[in-house]
Amino acid sequence: MNFRQFAYRNVARSKRKYAAYFVSSAFSVMVFFLCALFIYHPAISQDMILGAAARTMMAAEAIIYLFCSLFVLVSVGSFLQSRKLEFGILLMHGMTRRQLKLMVFLENMMIGGSAILTGTLLGLLLGKLFLMIGSGFLGIEPLEFYLSWQAPVLTICSFVLLFMLISLLTFAFIGSESPRGLFRGGGRGETEPKVSGRLALLSGLLLLAGYGLAAATTATTVEIMMFPVVLITVCGTYLFYTQLSLYIVGVLRKLRRFYWKHTHILTFSGLSYRWKDNGRMFFMVTIVSAVSFTSVGVFASIHTLSRELKLDYPAAVGYVAKGGGYASPEKRDLQGITAELERLGLPYETLRIPLKYAAIVSQTGPDHTKQLPLMSYSNYKLALRHAGFSSNEPPLEGNEGLVMIGSQRDRSLTAARFKATYSLKQGIRIQEIGYTQHVPIAEYLLPELDGRGGGDFSGLVVSDSLYSGIVPVHQDWYTGFYMEDFPRTAGVASELAATGKVPYEAKSPYAVVISGTLFEIQRTLYSTMLFASLLVGTVFFIAAGSFLYFRLYMDLDHDRLQYSTLSKMGLTDRELDRIATLQLALMFFVPVLLAVLHSLFAFIALQRLFYLSIAAETGAVLIGYLAAQTLYFFFIRSRYLRNLKKNLI
Amino acid sequence: MPILDVHNLSKIYEGKVSTHALNHIRFAVEKGEFVGIMGPSGSGKTTLLNVIATIDEPTSGEVMVNGRDPRGLGRKDKALFRRKELGFVFQHFNLLDTLTVEENVVLPLTLAGFTVKEMENRLGEVADRLGIRTLLDKRTYEISGGQMQRVAIARAMIHRPSLILADEPTGSLDSKAAGEVMNLLAEVNGAEGTTVLMVTHDAVAASFCHRVIFIKDGRFHSEMYRGSSRAAFFQNIIDMLSLLGGAGHELPAVRL
Repeated sequence: MNFRQFAYRNVARSKRKYAAYFVSSAFSVMVFFLCALFIYHPAISQDMILGAAARTMMAAEAIIYLFCSLFVLVSVGSFLQSRKLEFGILLMHGMTRRQLKLMVFLENMMIGGSAILTGTLLGLLLGKLFLMIGSGFLGIEPLEFYLSWQAPVLTICSFVLLFMLISLLTFAFIGSESPRGLFRGGGRGETEPKVSGRLALLSGLLLLAGYGLAAATTATTVEIMMFPVVLITVCGTYLFYTQLSLYIVGVLRKLRRFYWKHTHILTFSGLSYRWKDNGRMFFMVTIVSAVSFTSVGVFASIHTLSRELKLDYPAAVGYVAKGGGYASPEKRDLQGITAELERLGLPYETLRIPLKYAAIVSQTGPDHTKQLPLMSYSNYKLALRHAGFSSNEPPLEGNEGLVMIGSQRDRSLTAARFKATYSLKQGIRIQEIGYTQHVPIAEYLLPELDGRGGGDFSGLVVSDSLYSGIVPVHQDWYTGFYMEDFPRTAGVASELAATGKVPYEAKSPYAVVISGTLFEIQRTLYSTMLFASLLVGTVFFIAAGSFLYFRLYMDLDHDRLQYSTLSKMGLTDRELDRIATLQLALMFFVPVLLAVLHSLFAFIALQRLFYLSIAAETGAVLIGYLAAQTLYFFFIRSRYLRNLKKNLI
Repeated sequence: MPILDVHNLSKIYEGKVSTHALNHIRFAVEKGEFVGIMGPSGSGKTTLLNVIATIDEPTSGEVMVNGRDPRGLGRKDKALFRRKELGFVFQHFNLLDTLTVEENVVLPLTLAGFTVKEMENRLGEVADRLGIRTLLDKRTYEISGGQMQRVAIARAMIHRPSLILADEPTGSLDSKAAGEVMNLLAEVNGAEGTTVLMVTHDAVAASFCHRVIFIKDGRFHSEMYRGSSRAAFFQNIIDMLSLLGGAGHELPAVRL
């Protein structure tokens, strides 16, 4: 047996120990490889719209890589921790520290190398399936299987580097402890968990504050609140595992009526130790799961997007010919659009209405608008009727004006916005009295009011009599092509606007919005993000499972001894099952349920940004994860119980 | 009626070479007796203890504890039987390190579903008897080996079992702690009338018993009653051990 064989046998003969770590690493490598396959696929990398998808996948690759480094580091660290006694024996028998390090390095590289190989091979096998699923997500033609040279090279190189660097890094863990210190190893139950009531209380307060703030955020504050709320919740979660949960068990321990009852005494004392040893791991699992639940939930809300888009883009194609100083290409452009729509065989209605721009001398409130777009009330009604919206807004009178909203999500901002009164150059005053119920003209087609609070408010609707009296600085003409089946306008007028829009602010004689193209781009982006976050979420999920597995494996010897004593003392099988099941269930589900709770509150906060409900999609995602966790729980539970009872009487 | 009645007990381990671990063992232990079982390594002491503890099935013969034969009970009923009728003291104490001393002691009562008041009463009694009252709030890693074994004895007797089975109770203790533990066990046996069956290698420990049964190669070899002097009993045990071989095998059977 030479040295390499020795290292190999060390690994090969403790397969069980490394099983979950290996599976999780190989899975990460596989997902990384599949993403690379996708990114370097010629049909993806050469397409304009899908280019954005490739960039999203690249971000997913980076996240997987970073997470994987962390995962490998933590895992290898705990493997080394568990082998102290073995290292002590080897050092006693005259192995030098250099040899010990070489042995650890060889072992790590063996596991890492085989994980890379397995992951890449599995990736090759599943490549076609993955590309099919990917193209299904993006709603494009199924992609041909194409193996670019970059995908395997990138995967293998980056993971070899990762395993090598981390193996080198772990030498610090081996340290210079004497064999005597190594022999002592890490005993269990050596120290009573330190718990302070104050920190436990703080944890509860932090969590409540985080949840309260998340629930209380409004659309205007969500951006400012996001970071502190996340920070508060993360701190609260950490203290929850290291303090609050132990404190609760401590309190229960004092309640003899509860604690000294049947198997409670065994269940909760064991739990308190598992919790103490694994608090940090549970914390990590919770945060990682909460992040992946939230992102998957948000991107799963894509289906609500088309409903939202229909409300925000009343006309499938909107065109504004700017007046004032521009040689208008309006006639030519409109003819071009008409011709394209007719070639596609799309039935449509058109509406052409004027918009007057009034010069403003001064206004109340914090903003300084120079030119105010105005629309007459009857034209507003006309635009709504064409879009198929119904409204019961009463006709405007005198100098009243309704602010036109640019999209429905602006509605959440209206409460915080100051209602201004404008003094026109010609001496008329117009007062904002409210907001339009619907979007008359889509975002981008009108200049935005100079607002501080964000949002796309653009101009006012005024009464017909007021409108007719306005002397405009210049006048624009808006043309809308209204139809039911707006997604089919994707790609229309691509020579006017390749990305689906030319905003009013652009230096161009016209502004145009093609909702179909915008929808297509947004849908592709969201689908890719959903796809990527599902993949990353799965990697997280498997890694979290691997941590749990390893911890249980490490405790197995201790637990076996304990249960064999108990069983001699007369603990029945059913009682043993119940204790172990309850402990495992709490270990498996408390982090996940806490993560679900976190992400629910995150959804409540994010709900302010999305106009439509995302509850159904989010629920589906959460239930899916819970179901997967439950399956994993039953699998591990049966294995754990079988192992526990192996040499029980 | 004897508390423990072992009748023609045989145990054969099947295998390529089947071994006769116990061969027609027969003895009885009366209520309140303190009985030691000795014999060289491999004589079948531990097997005997395991069979009595219902952890191992005999091949033939029967064991009656308090008039009941646990053989033929299901796993669950056997567990309940052990819980009610037996108390265990182990060589390595086997205290649960996640529990405090106090919790370790009351564990058999909580499993049996006693009320908290009753548990506290009994805990007080046992703690005083075994001198572990000051240790009750401590964790198992904070106390010495001798103290741990005292706690283990408290745990074995708190539910007032018919029979306490002790497996090498002094095996992991230094001689001073071993002496203390054996004194306590003998005292508990005398004062409470608890029946104790102890397997040991240690002649000093065995000298505390009323009677020592010697077995060799799975067979009953002889038995010895204490009489009045513990010192003389100790000497007799040593002589018997050297005759049997095993622990005292380096000593000649007859000293000149």
